[in-house]
Amino acid sequence: MKKAALIFGYNDYALEIAKNLKSGYEKVTIYALGSEVDALKNSHDVEIKSFDLSDNWSNIDEDTDRENSIAFCVLEDSAENIFLTISLRSSFENLNIIALSNNKQTASKLQMAGANKVIPLVQTTAEMIAEMLQKPIVKEVFHNILFQNSTLKIAQVKMNEGNIYVGKEISEIDWSIKYGVVVLALVHKDMSSEFIYSYKIKHHIIDKDDVFIVVGYAKDIKEFEEMTGSRCD
Amino acid sequence: MNFFTRLVVDFAYFLNASIAYQRQKRFFYDVLENDKYPYKKHFDIFMIALIFSSVAILIVEVKSEINIYLKIFNIYVISIIFLVEYVLRFWISSSVSDMIIKKSEHAVALGRKFYLYKALLSAAKEKLRFVLSIKAIIDLLAILPLFHELRLLRLFVVFRVFKLFRYTKSFQAFASVLATKKFEFFILFIFSSIVIFVSSVLVYVMEAQNPKSPINTLFDALYWSIVTIATVGYGDIVAVTTEGRMVAIFVIIAGISVLAFTTSIVVSAFTEKLDEVREIRTVDTIRGLKHFYLICGYESVAQEVVKKLKNTKYGVIVLDEDAQRVENAKKDGLIAINYDPGDVESYEKLGIDINLQVKTILCLRESDIENVYTTLTVRSISKDVNIISLLMDDANRKKLIFAGANEIFYPKGLVGMIAKELTGRPVAFEVIHALRNDYYGVDVEEILVDERMSQNILYVSELNCAKFRIILLGIYKKNTKRFFFNPLEETMLESGDYLLFIGNNAFMGEFEKYLHKKIRR
Repeated sequence: MKKAALIFGYNDYALEIAKNLKSGYEKVTIYALGSEVDALKNSHDVEIKSFDLSDNWSNIDEDTDRENSIAFCVLEDSAENIFLTISLRSSFENLNIIALSNNKQTASKLQMAGANKVIPLVQTTAEMIAEMLQKPIVKEVFHNILFQNSTLKIAQVKMNEGNIYVGKEISEIDWSIKYGVVVLALVHKDMSSEFIYSYKIKHHIIDKDDVFIVVGYAKDIKEFEEMTGSRCD
Repeated sequence: MNFFTRLVVDFAYFLNASIAYQRQKRFFYDVLENDKYPYKKHFDIFMIALIFSSVAILIVEVKSEINIYLKIFNIYVISIIFLVEYVLRFWISSSVSDMIIKKSEHAVALGRKFYLYKALLSAAKEKLRFVLSIKAIIDLLAILPLFHELRLLRLFVVFRVFKLFRYTKSFQAFASVLATKKFEFFILFIFSSIVIFVSSVLVYVMEAQNPKSPINTLFDALYWSIVTIATVGYGDIVAVTTEGRMVAIFVIIAGISVLAFTTSIVVSAFTEKLDEVREIRTVDTIRGLKHFYLICGYESVAQEVVKKLKNTKYGVIVLDEDAQRVENAKKDGLIAINYDPGDVESYEKLGIDINLQVKTILCLRESDIENVYTTLTVRSISKDVNIISLLMDDANRKKLIFAGANEIFYPKGLVGMIAKELTGRPVAFEVIHALRNDYYGVDVEEILVDERMSQNILYVSELNCAKFRIILLGIYKKNTKRFFFNPLEETMLESGDYLLFIGNNAFMGEFEKYLHKKIRR
């Protein structure tokens, strides 16, 4: 069974998502609503199929692991996008659905419809523009860490059982000097994250399976992983 | 050209070429006439204060003896300041040297003989135009109390109040609005004059011979007529005869018409001109701002950007050609003006210095055609201003770059990159997102190392981050334009560097204070 990225909607958003996910997924398919497909736009040679808003999902290939794949709902019509999200959620309980919204109202509706994550397009763009104006260097550094092939990386590192730090208090440790990595946050077992700078986390005793979000150069992060646990990106 | 004429023409050229002379003239022009000059408002406030103090002294003087110094201040100091102002205004109103040069060159070009007196006559006409202007006459009358020996001239202090017209924009706006209805006011004036004249004569004829009537002279009749037509009706002088009362009925009816007509003229003038008056006000406000972001196009992304900029120390100005979007911006509490951002004339009308006042121009229309056009327009005015533009279709990226945008935001591309991160490192992505947006009270700040800070704190080890539970993520070195992540303790701080810190908001504030306070041992 192939782990696939299923993109519903044929537009520039879908093509951009497909372009970015091509290297990470065994299979990337765009599902176009209706039959209007502009083949000229598809410069990345992504597989394109058509679908409709009925609950008939037979056109999703049998060899696709539907429950563990990821679906993107990027229809430009908000009502259709919400309807699509509800349809997918009602048919595939465990499918990871990421939906695109153009405004706040649609974002909350998409979440109610069962999307695991909503990308608020307008807000995200505005946030980046405002950051560019107010904190240009922060924007540049984080943008490079997240989206560009910078030497600086961000990673999620899980604490393995038996490593030397398990059982120690966070405030006792300074990994920035020893490994050259800066810890941003701690992710608890219930997947709730907490910034390393909060009051109560200072006295947190490191436990096995704690996940740390760290920033550092690739080499330093690797060294850190070897000492403390495993990468869990 | 005789010797004297040659001398005068040469002197005119000398004045025109003299940098010092032109600089002085320009300075006085800016202070007295140029609304865009930042110090003009200080001068205006000073003059308004003088006017009010002068009138206040006049009022106090009516019933009590005032201090000799106040008298001297009122009669001499204020009058001399006004005299100097009048002379300066006379000087800058037109240029005699310009006129002489223009006429002389004109004569040379056409091969005609140059007559100095003709040039001087033209220059005198220009000066006379200034002297006979209403504002200049008021200015002159305001100086007359200087000759206080003539008691009547002292009353001219009151004319100083009229000088307020010069310094208060609201009065000027009010006058300009009413000036648009000159014709209607003229008709009203003729009508009222005829009614007053006819009724005065009639009531005089009807009443003057009646011993019981208070109307004994033509002046009484005229006074009664004006009081009645104005619908004031003091009641001190009334018509007592039946005939006189008939005239009164006629005047009262005419008075109601005059009042209604006057009201309707004023109201319609203001209704028609209200937008223009508001526009003038908005332009003045924009000109007065020291630094601001100029948002071209107020659509969904712009609306969100503005929300994010609400705590910025700079102003936010919206320029949009669509009246509805401008209204939306105003409802959101912004300074917005209905000008086309793609039109050079819009920026001329605004009268702003783009390089000095505008921090960044944001082209945020959801149309690449509009954004390219606006970018090109702005770039044609200023080569240096920072332009950020939204890009809706990646095919137009090159066009925007070619037009001169410094930074381009392509939301569709952003969605692709976010999708990749969300599927690859979802938690890390969320953490960075939360950090950038100041969620959970933890923020990332960039702090500029200024000259003072660089003298007080030499090395990273002296920052004392641990005390404030702040983490130094890195240093952006200005000279190399490189970001140094997790710098070593012995890294030196230089003026112009940026420090990137992550930490709790409350600690961050304290830490910033500490950085700026620290005194080197």
